[in-house]
Amino acid sequence: MTVRVHIPPVLRGIAGGRRELESDGATLQELLVNLACAYPPLALHLFDENGGIRRHILCIHQERAVRPCDFASHPIRADDEVIVTNALAGG
Amino acid sequence: MGVTLIVGTKKGSAILVSDEERADWTQTFALRGWNVTASARDDSGRFYAAIASDVYGAALMASDDLEEWRQLDAAPRYKPGDKGNPEHNRIAGAADFAGRYKDGGRFVDQIWTLHAAHGALYAGVSEAGLFVSRDRGQSWAGVDGFNEHPSRANWVPGFGGLGAHTILSDAKNPDRMWIGVSAAGLFRTDDGGKTWHPKNEGVSGDTGQCVHHVAHDPDNAAVLYRQEHRGVYRSDDAGDSWQVMEDGLPVSELSDGHRCSFGFPIVLDRKSGHAFVVPLDGDNFRMPRAAQLAVYRTKTGSRWEAQTNGLPENCFASVLRGAMAADQRSPGGLYFGTSSGSLYATNDLGESWREITSGLPRILSVEAYVT
Repeated sequence: MTVRVHIPPVLRGIAGGRRELESDGATLQELLVNLACAYPPLALHLFDENGGIRRHILCIHQERAVRPCDFASHPIRADDEVIVTNALAGG
Repeated sequence: MGVTLIVGTKKGSAILVSDEERADWTQTFALRGWNVTASARDDSGRFYAAIASDVYGAALMASDDLEEWRQLDAAPRYKPGDKGNPEHNRIAGAADFAGRYKDGGRFVDQIWTLHAAHGALYAGVSEAGLFVSRDRGQSWAGVDGFNEHPSRANWVPGFGGLGAHTILSDAKNPDRMWIGVSAAGLFRTDDGGKTWHPKNEGVSGDTGQCVHHVAHDPDNAAVLYRQEHRGVYRSDDAGDSWQVMEDGLPVSELSDGHRCSFGFPIVLDRKSGHAFVVPLDGDNFRMPRAAQLAVYRTKTGSRWEAQTNGLPENCFASVLRGAMAADQRSPGGLYFGTSSGSLYATNDLGESWREITSGLPRILSVEAYVT
């Protein structure tokens, strides 16, 4: 199963300049773990020392925002699109 | 030989390269989007830059030519389950959507300083800790003798959190090092990092000295210059005792009523023996007094003297602790950046200054390298 993962601009230099990477997994949590295994420098930026998702990271899955506390239970399917982004505030 | 400056900002790093005379500078911009909080060069000539983001954490970049940067796979990190400082986590964990900080963990959220010495690369981080790499950054280990210091439970975060921001080494004694922590004070090891001892005797303050920066000459390591939250000090015995050295410096009232010379960076030009500080108008205002940006200079035993030639008279910016550096050439060149993105330089020990670039984001760190 392949899922397209959009990488935030600030991390693209670490991902070889690519805007989009491929990963797989049954949940958002698995997807990001597998992504970090495939691209070790990204692991430092996605996960903290305890293996938790960094606190300001959000994912947008099929145009719906998902918070880190729901990543482990949030299912994904083949050919889905996931955007890794961060919580924003502004006005 | 020219000078290369790595100027870390809130949104990347300006890299400035001078000609032999340090008169003309060319500028490029790298690491776009990252807080560039520190840099260093090791014995082999490789450059390192510490990057951080409120969202994506801290890491290290390396470059051999200052053009191509590559992130190292490893970075300083605490062990899973290390217990964190609750007050630091309260500051660092604002808007803690994932709830990680509520668990009381200890996390590296920023690398405050990098220091190459005796074949190793050291990193001082927040939450305050010291890490060492002996393989050019490919792997990192915590210095447990410091990171698990018996007094750690009493360390108090400063305004920017609990950060280990200053590392000094002794060129003649690899077992001796110093580390400064806001706001826990200065510590020294004499046994290669196994044990660390507070070195704050004579420094004003009853609870947790808030050291801002310390400078020395590694070849004459026993003489230390210290910009503290509560004034400027000197030690002639490797930090065992400290004496106030504010003769000629402007004094401001701090928030607790104490009067002293407040500021952040302190830098030493090793060849001439001059020390430099940038006094600010106390901890309430943190801007130059009367809007006159001024550097003060002293030589051992002499009065501090103001140096304002070429510096602006309408400046409301500050100069952060890591944002001043000396190139250690002769005559000495000094460089400092402001929170409003201007970078000033002198190549005559501060007799005259000029702005060599402006319009940068908030400047966090400045390091100078002869190249």
